[in-house]
Amino acid sequence: MIAYDPTTNPLNNNEWSFPFLECIHILGFTLSIGTIALLDLRMLGLALQRHTSRELAKALAPWTLVGLAVMLISGPLIFSSDPNMYLRNLSFRFKMGALLLAIVYNYTIHRWAAMKEPAPAAGKLVSVVSLGLWISVVAGGLFIAFF
Amino acid sequence: MLLSLSQWIQSIGFLAAIRESALVYPVIMTTHLSCIAIFGGMILMTDMRLLGLALTKYTVTEVVTGLRPWKRVGFVIMVAMGLLLGGAEAEKYYHIPYFWIKMTFLALVGVHALIFRPAVYNKTEEIDKAPMIPARAKAAAVLSLVIWTGVLTMGRLIGYYEGNKSGDAPVAELRVK
Repeated sequence: MIAYDPTTNPLNNNEWSFPFLECIHILGFTLSIGTIALLDLRMLGLALQRHTSRELAKALAPWTLVGLAVMLISGPLIFSSDPNMYLRNLSFRFKMGALLLAIVYNYTIHRWAAMKEPAPAAGKLVSVVSLGLWISVVAGGLFIAFF
Repeated sequence: MLLSLSQWIQSIGFLAAIRESALVYPVIMTTHLSCIAIFGGMILMTDMRLLGLALTKYTVTEVVTGLRPWKRVGFVIMVAMGLLLGGAEAEKYYHIPYFWIKMTFLALVGVHALIFRPAVYNKTEEIDKAPMIPARAKAAAVLSLVIWTGVLTMGRLIGYYEGNKSGDAPVAELRVK
């Protein structure tokens, strides 16, 4: 466990900073997961069909990155409010595993499938896995408060 | 009257069951939050397109009409989940000012649609032909961002009101101790 006294953290010393950070965190993942999901829908053949998934991937990539950056700055700050509680929390551990997988997946297999445009069936499989991974991350985050 | 209505709503069998279930409640919240991520992202990108900041290779028409059916699907799921969550704890919500502010923001979403659908969202081909994105389209985008951020913020704050008895945010409780 981390030897650190969370009561010294400014986050724990006023009423508004914690919920404020959570809202920033939600906005961040709305941008990152939202843009990734949009690309998934394109690869599933369900949205924005007039351009290729390669074009959409290129157009969305910077926005996904901005969203990820917001997520990955606000997330650790939230974590710092009570690190030992998070480290003990099963949902948090699950979320970190899923998040790591989802990010690696996004920049390897998912990116490859969007750019190279393989057979539609392969693209669809890649998209479904992507959606599943990111929803798992959201679920893991929400369940921290329950389990 | 609203209070007794809220008490009646939350006494309905399946809503009481949701409130008392350890698993169903967070699963519904997860669905609500996943919808925010997926469909909220579409709102963000539509607004960014109207501001000329994203998806500029796509016409406004493509983005607005292409995402519209998905946003509707998302909205229906989100509202359905919201009704379950709010209905399960109707009496508690009745006392939470953030809930009512959130409802006000949602009403503003409707007002926004009434004003800007005829002026912007149903005139996307006109906007695409214009040499510059018209100010009214940018105004629609900015107001949409403001209103939806308000909905999101107030929604999150509902979980912080009065001691978090539902187990909404033990993180916040730990903070208080």
